[in-house]
Amino acid sequence: MFTAQKKIVLILLLAMLAGCSSTTNLEIQQDFPDVVFEPRDYHAAIVIPAEFRSYQARPNEVTFIDIGEAQVVLLGKAFRGLFKRVDVLNARADLHPETDIVIVPSVLEVQLSTPSESYLNVYEVWIKYNLDIESGTGEPIDSWFMPAYGKTPDSFMLSRSEAIKEATIVALRDAGAKLVLDFFRIPSVHSWMERQRDIQEQP
Amino acid sequence: MRHRYGIVLAAAAFMGGCAATTTIDEFRATTAPLEFNAGDKIVILGRRDAGHYETDRDFVGCLSKRMRGSRLAVLPEQQFIDAVYPWFEPRTAPKGLPRLKRLVEEPYVRAKIEDHDVRYLVWLDGTSETQGQLGSMSCTIGPTGGGCFGYSQWEKVVFIEAVIWDLQDLTEKGRIRVDSEGTSYLLGVVAPIPLISPVKSDACSGLGDQLKSFFTDDVG
Repeated sequence: MFTAQKKIVLILLLAMLAGCSSTTNLEIQQDFPDVVFEPRDYHAAIVIPAEFRSYQARPNEVTFIDIGEAQVVLLGKAFRGLFKRVDVLNARADLHPETDIVIVPSVLEVQLSTPSESYLNVYEVWIKYNLDIESGTGEPIDSWFMPAYGKTPDSFMLSRSEAIKEATIVALRDAGAKLVLDFFRIPSVHSWMERQRDIQEQP
Repeated sequence: MRHRYGIVLAAAAFMGGCAATTTIDEFRATTAPLEFNAGDKIVILGRRDAGHYETDRDFVGCLSKRMRGSRLAVLPEQQFIDAVYPWFEPRTAPKGLPRLKRLVEEPYVRAKIEDHDVRYLVWLDGTSETQGQLGSMSCTIGPTGGGCFGYSQWEKVVFIEAVIWDLQDLTEKGRIRVDSEGTSYLLGVVAPIPLISPVKSDACSGLGDQLKSFFTDDVG
């Protein structure tokens, strides 16, 4: 079939072609501003599972985006703007006995769109979160789907990794905005707060 | 001698083709300069909520620099957006005065705006487009040398609208619209020679001067 020389040439060609494909590995290390809001008088706990803290998104075969630490920083700041007292915990076992509300975040999916796929002059990132919300006593309140979106202004003069990083940071900021804007508008959270108010007002 | 004049005239005529044409329209509520007390600041913000374009960050930066050249104090865009996070993100930024009024009624937002002495917001909305690309150019390189040959031209169009909001009485103080266009050329005569029309910088200086005239009689 193949002579030894042909095999070597074939292997060299394959090795060269493999060298042409590049992988993008990104770690998002970003601080976010404090949230401007009037925090509600509740004691909240954000339980961050280990897989959320070290979450590495793989929106396609050649792109890895490590958003774990950045999203923990963002959610911590966003919830500190929403509630007067916030504990960021690694496990439910660490819950303070006076905790009113518990939030467990998870990432459902991260999607990426690049100019070569969309024929638009921008990079876009979608992060789909889910927040499991329950009372301090373990009663489920809701499981809330929270999508966030970010894009670059254009792709001009940006490398692929810089552009994806920029779009991801915009998407994370958008997640903070969505949370602050909509969290207390979730009907089940609103009802839970009303019930809490009734309980507190009881003589 | 006559030949030299001819070459100079031809070059001047060619370069003249690279000039940008800028049109400025404005509406202002009053002809008197807007009140601007010592310590007051302006923030120039770009609209970023449209799906298909974003107001150019470089243009926002250019305009801020142009305004800073006068006696007016300008707070950098990102500093303001971070100070009032998340209320001026693409998802949350007020698109009209009724929404701004509701936002500023919140004491925590009002306090942040006052902490930073922001008196006026200038919203910029617009983008630039490249149209009518013509010609072609090819560049080659070989053992004996290389070079580019050909000709290419394109038209750049910038349209930006600036809206001035007063954060003290929560009213709109004026609007300025700038349309600027110009044709750029790239000549390949061994080396590529770019002749770029300064469309964006013309739009920036035109809008900057007009904006300054809202706050002071002394524009310069």
